[in-house]
Amino acid sequence: MQEFDVLVIGGGASGLRAAIAAKHAGAKVALITKIHPLRTNSGLAQGGLNAPLGKGDSPESFAEDTLLAGDGLCDRDVVRTFAAEASKEIIWLERMGVPFNRNGEGRIDLRPFGSNSKSRTCYTDDRTGHIVLQVLHEQAQRAEIPSLEEWFVTSLVADGNSCAGAIALSLRSGKLDSFSARAVILATGGFTRLYLPSTVSLGTTGDGQSLAYSAGARLMDMEMTQFHPTVFPRNPALLITEAALSEGAVMVNQKGEPIRLAKGLSREKICLSIHNAMQNGGGSVSLDLRPIGKDKLLSRFPQTHELVRGLAGLDITKEPIPIRPVAHRSVGGIETNATGETSLPGLFAVGECACNGLNGAGRLAGNTLTEAVVFGRKVGDAAAKYAKTASKKSFPSAKLSDEEKAITALVSGSSSGGDSSGKIHADLGRLMSEKVGLIREQAGLQEALDRIHRLKQRYRALRVRNTSRIYNYELTTYLELGSMLTLAEIVAQAALGRTESRGAHQRADFPQKDDRNWRNHTLVSLVQEEPRWDQKPVAG
Amino acid sequence: MKYAFYPGCVSRGGCPELYPSAVKVSAKLDIELEELKDVGCTGAGVLPQYLSDPINARTFAKAEAMGLPIMTICSTCQGVMSQANYRLKADPEYRTKINKEYLSEEGLEYKGTTEVKHLLWVLFEDYGIERLKSLLRKPLKGLRVSPFYGCYIRRPPEAITPTKELNRRKNYLDELIEILGAELADISGKGKCCGFPILTANEENSLAMVGKHTGEAKEKGADFMVTPCPLCHLNLDGNQPRAEAQEGKEIGLPILHLPQFLGLALGFDPGEMNLKRHIVSTQPVESKVSMLT
Amino acid sequence: MEVTFKVYRKDPEKDGKPGRSNYTIDIPEDATVLDGLLKIRDEIDSTLAFRASCLRGYCGDCLVRVSGRARLSCVAKVTAFTQKAPEISLDPLRIVPVIKDLVFDWDAFMWNKIRAVQPWLEPKEPASDGENLIPDAAMKDLRKVMSCYYCGMCDEGCTVLPVDFNFLGPAALTKAYRFAFDPRGKETRERLKILEEPKGIWDCVHCYEADEHCPRGIEPTKRIIALRDLAFKLGITNEKVARHHKSFAASVKESGWLDEGRLAIESEGLTNIKGLMKLLPIAARAMARGKAPIPYLHPKRPGADKIKKIFEKGEQETK
Repeated sequence: MQEFDVLVIGGGASGLRAAIAAKHAGAKVALITKIHPLRTNSGLAQGGLNAPLGKGDSPESFAEDTLLAGDGLCDRDVVRTFAAEASKEIIWLERMGVPFNRNGEGRIDLRPFGSNSKSRTCYTDDRTGHIVLQVLHEQAQRAEIPSLEEWFVTSLVADGNSCAGAIALSLRSGKLDSFSARAVILATGGFTRLYLPSTVSLGTTGDGQSLAYSAGARLMDMEMTQFHPTVFPRNPALLITEAALSEGAVMVNQKGEPIRLAKGLSREKICLSIHNAMQNGGGSVSLDLRPIGKDKLLSRFPQTHELVRGLAGLDITKEPIPIRPVAHRSVGGIETNATGETSLPGLFAVGECACNGLNGAGRLAGNTLTEAVVFGRKVGDAAAKYAKTASKKSFPSAKLSDEEKAITALVSGSSSGGDSSGKIHADLGRLMSEKVGLIREQAGLQEALDRIHRLKQRYRALRVRNTSRIYNYELTTYLELGSMLTLAEIVAQAALGRTESRGAHQRADFPQKDDRNWRNHTLVSLVQEEPRWDQKPVAG
Repeated sequence: MKYAFYPGCVSRGGCPELYPSAVKVSAKLDIELEELKDVGCTGAGVLPQYLSDPINARTFAKAEAMGLPIMTICSTCQGVMSQANYRLKADPEYRTKINKEYLSEEGLEYKGTTEVKHLLWVLFEDYGIERLKSLLRKPLKGLRVSPFYGCYIRRPPEAITPTKELNRRKNYLDELIEILGAELADISGKGKCCGFPILTANEENSLAMVGKHTGEAKEKGADFMVTPCPLCHLNLDGNQPRAEAQEGKEIGLPILHLPQFLGLALGFDPGEMNLKRHIVSTQPVESKVSMLT
Repeated sequence: MEVTFKVYRKDPEKDGKPGRSNYTIDIPEDATVLDGLLKIRDEIDSTLAFRASCLRGYCGDCLVRVSGRARLSCVAKVTAFTQKAPEISLDPLRIVPVIKDLVFDWDAFMWNKIRAVQPWLEPKEPASDGENLIPDAAMKDLRKVMSCYYCGMCDEGCTVLPVDFNFLGPAALTKAYRFAFDPRGKETRERLKILEEPKGIWDCVHCYEADEHCPRGIEPTKRIIALRDLAFKLGITNEKVARHHKSFAASVKESGWLDEGRLAIESEGLTNIKGLMKLLPIAARAMARGKAPIPYLHPKRPGADKIKKIFEKGEQETK
């Protein structure tokens, strides 16, 4: 057993920032992650991160835009804190080495992006996530934070009513080990792999939300998953940053006619416009980037140019690219307050796996990475502080052997009659996209729930055939699918429950926003093996 | 056909057999050479760019004034000059700066028109393979030959192989071996480094490279290896005995300079090509060549 | 279309000996190599181990050799390798310790080496509360270097690593460049000192293989050369290399060209008796063949004084 003050689970931007903050606050910290930090989904973020650094800008204006995108479900205090602290964090990143694009004065250049009313998105070409992630990883190494890579966390461990650590499987050695910690921070990212196609990495499977739920913590607003409007829809889908739209790209329908968009539309509204254009015209929609101009395209969107050419065989400087809305980011997640505390003492959550009231029903473009660094720091601080005052927890030693038995029972070596994790996931992904996707309605959601139950039955009949323990990806894929099925049912149920349309949640049968009944968060937790549904009013 | 000849330091220093054999072979081929005497070392990748670029610009300016392209007989000279020339041609501002700060005092100016070509390139791109074939007196039938290019005559791409057409440069030596009637004993390391540049910094690695490349050629049944780079020659030939000691294996692979190889096929006898000057005995090659008719 | 994947296998829990498995699968025309691998693992052989993460060429995790060539399996189209026959071979990189099947030891291959260059900025004390004011040109160069997705193809192409796996390699040295040339960092000299240790920048043969292999056009070799030029400018701290460079430069400066005999002796160090003794057999062999250049009796070239002037000027300017 290894012992730490703070154990951070997840090596993306939020996890790294939290680990650095906790370490600076004096805690003994370790990072544990199922893939190397530089391979995490944070690296896929392209367009940039918001901060109100511009001359005519202010934290108030930034907060206002964030609230608008959240469509009435944001916690105002959280949003205000976030908007007030964003600039400081971005300056910190700059000092630590992010080579932000500069304006003529040598200051951080600000690009127009999404529904931000001001130019406030700091960027490094179209590789912002990849570069911010590198700098965070560099600084985590500078802080000498031990990084346990390719460790798959199989469960959280509780001491009475508080979190005492985790048990994890080393892919490399094939062995389970226990990690005792006074505070555990989940920073495991989203669950968008519930959907196929999606814009995310292979491992964005909602492990953290599922771990927290199984340990008794509450999840919030799980019906909210943001779709991204400008995605080349192969599987895996290839996202074209929305910055392209802000910098002059136009959307055209099948006949080549431009689809006019009002300025400053939220992602959700743009998605709906595309959806409608596809429905009405019965055809496809394309994104024409040529109006941006070849030089600017090559200098500001080098990665997009390279990947679209490589994977789609299309040249953004020469031709329009077919697009449609594709599942992008989880908005709902583990319920937390502004400092990341979940409903389970000792357990914290931050970043995309958390739902702290910042994003409400829809996330403002460019807020994801800012959220990661602003709340990464706050939650890292808070967890370190908690660890100082919390009494030492006892880590039930039997847990490790129980987990060992459970894993051994799973790995039977016998065949599962032709069924597989991949097949179940393919069916789930398609089902979620069709019935719990951009537009939902009651009958479809009910059908989805039925079919999710059947998928769960198939899952329970499934056995892991690969009996080896070293790099047993069948086993980890199986465990990830388990998380996804748990969350899929919650997402569909939450979507069925919210009888209105708001932000990322659009009901064909309830097309209006219903502030009277629905300025509420959806909450769910596991109580005696059963989900307990609840609501709480929006704060502020 | 006339060139401003840049022989390089090593062709008269560490490999004194190279200069005369290149001169003899060129004369035989009717390639006229006017030697650039009043010029400096290219820097060989040892001098930093801020020193070597002005020195090379000076060389280019002198050839430009003569109205001649430059011919080299060294992959390293070729590479360093190609890279400098690429920078000077691609960036007129940079060229102007170098002219102003370094060359103007002497009354020189580099306008950016000089071509720099290794003898190997000259044969394929200017001279013509058919013409070369017509002059072959002793095709090297039955000899197995491994090519070894020297890094700088293959890379970096922007300076060495800027067009698809010129990508063929990466294969000239292979082609030439067959044109001269010999058999190609291909090796995987033919385009890799010989180890010479790190002889000082890491002798063990340098010798390991010598052992690897010459050993592979030997395994492929090569009678000898041919290289257009005298620096590669210094290491592959001169340090082969030490590489044998370090790697604990016998190799004994003769290494010929490109002009020597050409010379043999053109009918020069081994003595005229100064083969005796090599460290690894060329005796087996000489006797095989003497059997050819 | 039907394609046979011939995949390298190794199981550390069995005999650990390398082997190969063949899988024939039906995949769409536009399938990537990763699509095929995922299908095999899911439907045919769940023991097959390979890595993947981002699925679209952002991250470098899925690097394998496809029919001999290092590629990211997630963006490599199968049809690019099946023109001759409907089959592809998949292998780990050539020079890495393999753990299981296509899963190799990234730590040993790259991460540990990157860690060794102290891969972080030590920021200067800020002049103000705001961001550093820097022209975009300086940042653009760093963004280019940081577009590296750590795929390791430069290391796979490196000439030195096959003879010396402990060489830091182009990926790690390129990472170091990013800090040495960041105007916001404070300790360039200290950093160079680390890089000048054995296995560092001076062990690079600058063969430009890395530049040819880098899929992002980052040109790792040129980055290493820039680090060496910077060391030259600031004073080389690796003694052996310093002697070699000093002698080389002095020789060219004084005579216009290189005095190889002198270079050999001075590189070893005039007081380094053991090193000089080692040169003796080489010199003797060379002398016997009439090819050893005689040190210090090195005639000046015509125009040598002009070269000297260039030196003096260049040295002046960099101060």
